[in-house]
Parts: sequence; structure tokens; C-alpha cells
Amino acid sequence: MNCKICSREAGENGYCELHMKAYESIVKKYEPWKRALKISWKEYLSEIVKNPLTGEWAKEVAEYLINTGEKQNVTNG
Amino acid sequence: MVCVSMEKYTLIITEKPDAAQRIASALDAQGKAKKMEHNGVPYYVAKRDKEIIVVPALGHLYTVAEERKGRNYYPVFSFKWVPRHVAEKGAKQIRTWLETISKLANDADMFIDACDYDIEGSIIGYCLLKYACTNKEGISKRMKYSTLTKEELEKSYAEMLPHLDFALIEAGRTRHEVDWLYGINLSRALTIAARDWSGKYATLSTGRVQGPTLRFLVAREKAIRCFVPTPYWSIKAEAKIAGSIFEAGYEKKIIETKMEANTIVDACKGKNGETEKIDVKKFQQSPPMPFDLGALQSEAYGLFGYTPIRTSNIAQHLYLDALISYPRTSSQKLPPAINYEAILKNLNKVPEYKKLTAELLTKTELKPNEGKKEDSAHPAIYPTGNLPERVLETSERNIWDLVVRRFMAVFGEPAIRQSIKVCINVNGHRFYLRGRQTLREGWLRFYGPYVRSEEVLLPSIEEGQAINIKKVILEDKFTKPPSRYNPSSLLKKMEEAEIGTKATRAGIIQTLYDRKYVRDERMIVTDLGFEVLEVLKKYCPTVVSMKLTKELEEKMNKIQINGEKRENVLLDAVEILKPVAEELKGKEKIIGEQLSNAIKRARLEEGTIGICPICNTGKLVMIYSRRTGKRFVGCTNYFKGLCKASFPLPQKGTVRPLGTNCRGCGWPTVQVRIKGRRPWTLCFNPKCPLKEERRKRIELQNMQ
Repeated sequence: MNCKICSREAGENGYCELHMKAYESIVKKYEPWKRALKISWKEYLSEIVKNPLTGEWAKEVAEYLINTGEKQNVTNG
Repeated sequence: MVCVSMEKYTLIITEKPDAAQRIASALDAQGKAKKMEHNGVPYYVAKRDKEIIVVPALGHLYTVAEERKGRNYYPVFSFKWVPRHVAEKGAKQIRTWLETISKLANDADMFIDACDYDIEGSIIGYCLLKYACTNKEGISKRMKYSTLTKEELEKSYAEMLPHLDFALIEAGRTRHEVDWLYGINLSRALTIAARDWSGKYATLSTGRVQGPTLRFLVAREKAIRCFVPTPYWSIKAEAKIAGSIFEAGYEKKIIETKMEANTIVDACKGKNGETEKIDVKKFQQSPPMPFDLGALQSEAYGLFGYTPIRTSNIAQHLYLDALISYPRTSSQKLPPAINYEAILKNLNKVPEYKKLTAELLTKTELKPNEGKKEDSAHPAIYPTGNLPERVLETSERNIWDLVVRRFMAVFGEPAIRQSIKVCINVNGHRFYLRGRQTLREGWLRFYGPYVRSEEVLLPSIEEGQAINIKKVILEDKFTKPPSRYNPSSLLKKMEEAEIGTKATRAGIIQTLYDRKYVRDERMIVTDLGFEVLEVLKKYCPTVVSMKLTKELEEKMNKIQINGEKRENVLLDAVEILKPVAEELKGKEKIIGEQLSNAIKRARLEEGTIGICPICNTGKLVMIYSRRTGKRFVGCTNYFKGLCKASFPLPQKGTVRPLGTNCRGCGWPTVQVRIKGRRPWTLCFNPKCPLKEERRKRIELQNMQ
């Protein structure tokens, strides 16, 4: 099975090793964002997509999550 | 004909032609050695009590090669040392060179190895004496010097060592052989796997140090690409004191929630402050340590933007011109034997150093501020005191000046600086105003233009003084991803991790660029770089393991002090490589597919110029026409029938996407390089306003 985002081989969660790492980073950083700005998961995702400091893979995962409407904890683990 | 004297002579072997000329001139009684040539190979004849012939090598003239011929197999564990022309294509000149040295050796009755006193130099001398001079390594003497000045060369000749440094040679041989075993087996496995899968040849390489170095880069790249920034806020206040505006930072540098930040700003807005406390601290800033190669490379990168390999090459030229001491050193020590005073007296003849050297020469004692690192063969890098005999190029002048100023600075007094921290209370919130001032320059004066310390002068302020706060500023900020390695910081990382040697690290970094595993000055790992490391990590993790690389490195270092045997280290290397090669062979197809796809993507990435300005969805790429063989630029949407954008390209020279857009029209640009011409930037837009402007300018010039 290929990764939801790229052509690499995916793990059980549907992401390749690299995009999984980015996904984990997105999930982990939501807490401080929520605390800082009191924003929803969706708003958070669109914020990080816009942010020029967000890494390329994290951006790809965030865009994918926005497009599919996937919830925060669906693929965790 | 080789110059043949009836009497026997002494044959001195050097590493490079420039060194041969310097040594011959230094040893000639008249100071004028005669330059001779045989089949284009220069050598020098010096007359002293006896005739001396000094013949140079051209760096390494011998190399490790496999015993069996052919490039299409692995593993390879049997090897021998052969002349480079036997092992490498395009090294034909080496044959003539070796023939000349052999002929000169025939009539010599004494042999001296005067190559650089380090691992590489020792191997160069040893191989020539053993193979080209037929087993003269056992009777050869050794000159040891750190500068190519006449005085030191004469001293080194008078006090030459009775034999070669065999421990150093053994360590060098082992290093070359182990690196060769790693390089040949792993690189061949990768290259063959990719070629057999795709039918196309592309050189892929990795090595004992290259693999772990790529691993550092990939780890950093992953952290950057997965990075998600976190918001935070910072607050500063603009205070008007004695008619000038100063910025004071809020006591908490990072405020994690917007609500807290807004509360602070609201509380301070429109309020004035009062100084609560003033802390004044004096501190000493010790002089810098003398340069070892790594420190020089790092400083030159920071100051002039020179890559480590460039600095290393410039320093080598300066050494061969006898302007600085031997640069490939890891020492931070300057022994008194180099004669500090004499060097400073000579530098005193240079107008810009006159005052500074004069000041140092008045000191009762000259004592350098040395570092801990030592090198048994050479001291730290220092200026010889010789002055340039030719006009130095800007880069050479910069490095020489840097070495001279650092040399002077290490003898300077510590600088005394003062930091002032003023605490201003604004409605219960504390802001800090910080100042920094140099009270006594000390060594900073000698280092002059290269000092990177900021002076922030504050007006006189007293405790309890009312402060007029003009503005309270709230700044939205985000945490930043880790910075990318650049060639200098990567070199430092390799040094810290103790992998590679001072002589090889810069070259390994260059290889990563040459293989297209990384690109740009702020090093970005390419798809190919990722894939190569992925393959190595997955199928042979031992070869990219830091632990194993370091262990092997330590064992090789021990050989140098007779604490380990070459045979044991070679056996260890083979033990590691055997199962690795088997694993790679067994998985050749999967690896080949993975690497071939990455090569394909890398080539596409390399030829991608930017977003197509016509359709705004496709990408402009460089394409070679199958029919005509000519190159041009086309849009990737052409194949989908969506865009017909295409532009001509110059057919000569190299074309490289610049990754930047034209400042006139915003279209992507390329750089064109044609031999003998200055590189230029090409914008494809026929209606680019810059082109129009240029056309009008030329027309106007022609009319005038």
C-alpha cells in the first residue's frame, strides 16, 4: 500500500515513515496552539498550511487532513 | 635526458612542485637552485657540500586498487597499491612522472623524504621510495618542517630524522585501504543495483565517513520538513531617555498565550516607568586561540563565505608560498621555537601591521593564549613572517590577513567589557534595558575587522529615575525550525563526532554535492540523498552507524602510536563488510528500483526551472528533443494537452535553474555558463520589461 500523500510504502496508519513523522508533529503541536489561540483543529490546520515556517511534509499532511476532513485522532498510532 | 652527474647525489622527494623549488633554493649554497626538466617533469638541482636533486610528486602518485580487473562485481577484498595511471583513466601523466623519479633514483646514494609531515605526505613519500625508487624506504631519512621558510628548511635538513615515521605510514596505509574497501564495495553495490534495474548508468557512492555524514544531514532535513511552528508573543517597550529612544525587552522573553500578552500590553500602555535596579557587570574576554584548520575554515566561512574546501586550498597555496605554516593541523599550540619575536618583526614591515606589531614587541613577555588541542606533527597555523613576493588574489589576501591578525590577537591582553542591565518597572511589569561596552580593547584591537561584538551604549541612568515610555509593542512570533547545515557547520559536526580527518572532511562534503545528494549552500538533501541513506539504513545499518565508524576511527588512530596493528583493523573492516555486501546483493532488485526512481526524480528536479507562467499549473522543465537532440524549455502540461509553452535555450554551455524569479516580470530564470564568458541570467519572457529597457538602451547608445 502506498502512502496517502506520496508514492512511498505506507505503514498501517496509511502514511509512509516520513509523513507519519510529520503527522505526529502536527498532532503534538496542536496543544500549544489551542492553548495560545483557542482555535479549533481545522483552524489550526489552515494556520499551519499558511505559515512559511511549516516544513514541507507537515504542510502536505495538513493539506491532506483539510481536504479529507480527517479528525485529529483517527490515524494516531 | 635526466641530468646525470658523475658523482652520486642526494635525492629529496617532496609532495608538490612548489615545495620542491622552495626546498632546493633553501638548500643551495647560493640560494639559486637550477630548474631542470625531463619529459615535462620538473626537478631542481642544488649545490651544497654535495649535489642535491629535489624532485616533486604531484600529490598521491600511487593508490589502492583491486587485484582483479573489472568494475562490475563486488564484494572486493583483495587489493594492492598501484601507480595511479594503472587504476585511473586520464592519469597518463603519472607514468612519465614516475619514470623520471625512478631514473633520478638510479644515481642517488642518499634518499630523503621531505613530503608534508602528516598521514597523506608520509604515504606519498613512502610509496615513491618503495615502488619508484625500488625499496629505498628502509634507508631513507625524513625532513620534518612546518613552514617552507629558508631558515626552517635548512634546520630541518641539518637535523633530519634518521628514518621514516613508519607508524604514521602504517596508519595512513590502513586508512586508505579501509576507506577503499568501504567505498568500492558499497558504491559498487548501489551503482550496479541502479544500473541493472534501469539500464542507465549513474555514479552513486558512499563510504565509511560519507554515509554517517549524509545521515547527519538527513536527520536535520527530516526535522525541518516535519517542523510545525508554535506561536508565541514577545513584548518590548520604547523608552525615551536623554532625548534618545531605547528598546527594553519584557522580563519574560516568551509569552505562550495571546491572552496573557494582551493583558500585559493593556496594563503597560500609556504608563510611564521607573528604574528599579541597575546591574553593572565587568567581565573579561580572553584572546582567541590560534587557528587549527577547522577553526580557520569556520572563521573564513563566517567572515568571507568561503567553503571549507576553498579555505583549505587557499591556505595550501599560502603555505607553498611560505607565507603561513602548514595548514592541515589540529593543533592549537604555538611553541616558542617558532620565534614569535622574529615573526612580529618581519610583519612590522607591512604598513597596516606596523603599529600593532610594534605594540606587541614592547611587551616584556610574548605568551600566546593556546587551546587544548595538540598535533604531534605541526603547531597551530601561524604566519611565517615572510611577506608576499607576488600580488595576492583577494581571497588569498583575506586568509593571510586573517591568519596574521589572529596570530597577533593571541598575544593580546584580555579585553575588558561591561554589561549594564537596567530594570524598568512599568505598572508592576518589568522591562530590561541592556547595554554593552568595551572598557579595554586588549586583543580586540589586533583582530580588528574580524571582531564580531556589538557595542550598545546607554546614557547615564540612576535608580529611581522616571522613564518616559513612548510605546509598548506586541510582537507575534513563531518558533523556528532547526537551521540547515552549511559546509562549515557540517564540518564542525564531523569534527565533534570525530569522523574523518582534517585532510578529508572538506572533500567528503564536496562529494555529497558532486553526487547530488545535497544542493545549495544551506544544505538541502535531495530525493536521491534521502533514498541512498534509506537504502543504507535499511539494508546495512552498520555502515552508517556512528558508533561503528567512531570505533574504527579510534583503532586507526591507535596504529599511529603503535597501539594497534594494520592487519587487525583491515580484518575488522572485512568482517563488517562481508555480510553487508551479501545483504545488498540479495536485495539488489528492490534497491535498484528504489534508487533508479530516486535518480529519475533527481534528474527531473535538477531540470525543473519553476512554475509555468503561461498555465500557472505545470512546471517548466528542460527537455532534450529526441528528433534533433537540441535542448529547450517546455511545460509539463504539454503531454496532457493543456499548455503549449516552450522556449529556446542556448545549445552551448551549461544551464542551471536559479530557483529565483526575474525581477522585471516574475518569470522563472536560469543561469547560463559558457566557457570563457561571464555567466548570465536568462529570462524566457520575450516581453520582459527588462529586455525592452535593455534594447532601448542599446539603441540609444548606437544612435549616440
